[in-house]
Amino acid sequence: MATYEPVFSALGLESWCASGAEAATGPTSLADLIARNTGTDAPAPSIWELPFPSMDELHEACASFPQSRALTKGLENAFLDVKDGLSLVLDPLTQPLSWFLEGALWLFQSTPWWIMIPVLLAIVMLVSRSKQLVVFVAVCLLALAFIDYYSYAAQTLAVIFVCAMLCVMLGVPIGIAMSRSDTLQRAMIPVLDMLQTLPAFVYLIPLIFLFSVTEPKLYGIAIILYAIVPVVRLTDLGIRLVDKDVIEAADAFGMTDRQKLLKVQIPLALPNIMAGVNQTIMMSLSMVVIASLVSAPGLGVLVLRGIRNLELGVGLVSGLGIVILAVILDRTTKLALARINAGQSQ
Amino acid sequence: MSTQAMEPETKIEIRNLYKIFGPDPQRALRAVRDDGLGKPELLEQTGHVLGLEDINVDVKAGEITVIMGLSGSGKSTLIRHVNRLIDPTAGEIIFEGRDILDCSAEELRKIRREQMSMVFQKFALLPHKTVAENAALALEVRGFPRSEYIPEAEKWLERVGLQGYGESYPHQLSGGMQQRVGIARALTSNADIMLMDEAYSALDPLIRTDMQDLLLELQQELQKTILFITHDLDEALKLADHLVILKDGRIVQQDEPQTILLEPSDPYIVDFVSDINRARVLRVRTVMDKTPPTDGMNIAGEIDQEDNLESVISMAEGDTRKTYLVKDGEKRVGILRMETLIKSLVPTEASDEGSRVR
Repeated sequence: MATYEPVFSALGLESWCASGAEAATGPTSLADLIARNTGTDAPAPSIWELPFPSMDELHEACASFPQSRALTKGLENAFLDVKDGLSLVLDPLTQPLSWFLEGALWLFQSTPWWIMIPVLLAIVMLVSRSKQLVVFVAVCLLALAFIDYYSYAAQTLAVIFVCAMLCVMLGVPIGIAMSRSDTLQRAMIPVLDMLQTLPAFVYLIPLIFLFSVTEPKLYGIAIILYAIVPVVRLTDLGIRLVDKDVIEAADAFGMTDRQKLLKVQIPLALPNIMAGVNQTIMMSLSMVVIASLVSAPGLGVLVLRGIRNLELGVGLVSGLGIVILAVILDRTTKLALARINAGQSQ
Repeated sequence: MSTQAMEPETKIEIRNLYKIFGPDPQRALRAVRDDGLGKPELLEQTGHVLGLEDINVDVKAGEITVIMGLSGSGKSTLIRHVNRLIDPTAGEIIFEGRDILDCSAEELRKIRREQMSMVFQKFALLPHKTVAENAALALEVRGFPRSEYIPEAEKWLERVGLQGYGESYPHQLSGGMQQRVGIARALTSNADIMLMDEAYSALDPLIRTDMQDLLLELQQELQKTILFITHDLDEALKLADHLVILKDGRIVQQDEPQTILLEPSDPYIVDFVSDINRARVLRVRTVMDKTPPTDGMNIAGEIDQEDNLESVISMAEGDTRKTYLVKDGEKRVGILRMETLIKSLVPTEASDEGSRVR
C-alpha cells in the first residue's frame, strides 16, 4: 500500500492504474526486494515520513505512472533516434576540423626538433618582444625534450594551436554579432553559461555517439565547445565597452558601420579580445587533457596512463609538463596583451 | 563680427523642433502641443521627458551661433539634431534648401563627411591612432590615400599650434592640446559647418581663454558657420554673433549678445547677466549718442564703433569727463561720453525670485 494510492483513487484513475499494473514489467527495486524478504509490510506512515511525491513514489501508487528512469531512458532514446540524421549533417560539416588537426599533428611531429624549437622561439619573440621570456621558453622546451617528452608536448601544442585558432575565428564574429544585437546577446548568454559550467566529461558522451572515436574531430569539437566561451564573451564585452563618445565621433564624421567596426570598435576592444584569447588558450589546454579519454594525443595520454596504471612518476612528470606549457602560453599571450594595452592607454 | 551691411544667408534653419524621450513620444507630443503640458507636468503625467520644445533657430552662414543653457536644458540634444545623431520627434531642419530629416542614410553620411564637422566635449579622439591620423579622420573616412591626408592634417595641426606633435598619441598630450587636435580634426574635414558641443567645458579657465581666442582668430580667417554649445555665459558672450538661451528645452531668448544683455526678456536671463563683466561685452555702437559733435565739445580721441567698452575705459584711463568721437571706418557716426558709458554698466537688477537658486 503506497502513500499516494488514495490520491489516484480520489481522482478516479484506478482503472488507468490497474491497466498499468497488468502490463507491469518494470524491474524490481531494491526496496521491493527487501520488503519481500523481510516479509513485513511497511509500517503505518506517519506524517514525518511522508515521502515527496516524486515520479518513483507515484509509480508505486499507480503502476501506469512512469518511473523517473523513464526520463533518462527517454532522453537517451530520443538522442539515439535523431543521432543518425544529426551525424549525417554534422559529419561533413566538421570534417575540415579532422583535416586541420591531422595536418597540424603531422606538421608538428614531422618537423625536426632543430627547426621546430627555433621557430617556436621566434614566434614567442615576435609576439612578446621579451628576451627574458624567450630564454625561459627555450629552457622549458629543451628540458621537456631532454626527458623525452618533446613529441608529446608537440602533439599537445598542435592540438591547442588548431583549436584555439578556430575558437578565435568563430568566437570573435559571434562576439561581434552579440555586441550588435541585444536579442542575440540574451539568447547566447545562457548557452555560453551552459557550455562553461557543464562538467567537461558531459560533452564527451553525446559526441561519442555522434562521431567515431578514432576521428580527431571528436576531441576537437569537445575542446572548441569548451574553450570558445571566453573569447565570445570578452569580444562582446569589449565592443560594448568602447567609449560612447568615440563612437559618436565616428558617426559624426560619417563612418559606415563597417568602417566603425574595423577602424574603431575592434581596435579599441582589442585588449579585451586578447584577454579572451588568453583564456581560450588556457581552457583548451585544460580540455586537451580530459579529451585524451577520447583519443586526443599529447601529454594528456601520459596523465591518463599515470592514472590507469598508477604510474605515479609518469603522471607527475607529464602533469608538470602541462603546467610548463600552460605557463609558456600564458606568459606569451599576456605579454602580447600588455603591449596592446600600452599602445592605447589613456 | 556682424559688420556686413547685408544680412548673411541662413545656412541651417531649425523649425518647430520637438524631442521627447520615452516609450511613446508621439502621444506625449500631442499632450505637449494640444494641452500645453510643460516639462515637469509631462514627466509626472506620462513619464516622458521633454527634451526640446518648439525650437526655432536660424543659423547664419559665417557666424558663430551660440546656444547657452545650464545642464539639462537640452543644448547637447539640440546640436545632435543638426547632424542627426539624434532624430527629432517632430519638426524640420532645413539645410541648403532641404530637410535633413528626409535624407537617406547615404546622403546623411555624405553631409556628415563633407559639410559638417563636430568637436566634442570629451575630445573623443581615437586612442590607438596618432595625432595626425586623428586629425585626418574625416579625409580617411572619405577614402583619400594616406599620402594626401597626412600632409593636410599636419597643415591644420600647425594652424592650431601643434606642429611637431603629429606622431604622438593623444594620451601623451594635455587636455587643451587634445582639444586642439579635435579642432584640427574638424578643420581638416574642410566642412563649412562646425558643430562644437561644449568643446571647451572640460578645459581649465586659462586654456579655455586661449582656445576661445584661437577660435575667434580662425573664424576671422575661415568664416565657417559655427554652432557652439556652452553653459558658460562669459564664453557665450565672447564668441557669439547670435546668442540663443535655452532653459528646460525651450528657447527663452535669442538675439545679439548685447541686446540680451541690455534688454533681458526673462527673469532667468536677468539672473544670468547680472554678474557679467558688461564692459567686455557691450560695444560702443550700442551706447553712443548718434549726434554729431558740437563745437564746444572737448574730444579726447577717436574710437571705432565696434570697440568694446573695456578698451574705451582703459583708453580714457578711467577719466569720466572725457568724450570720444565714434567712427565707422572713416565715417563719423556719433559721440560717446564717458558718463553715458558708466551708466550703461549699471547692471540690471537680479530678479527677486532668484530663479538662479535652483
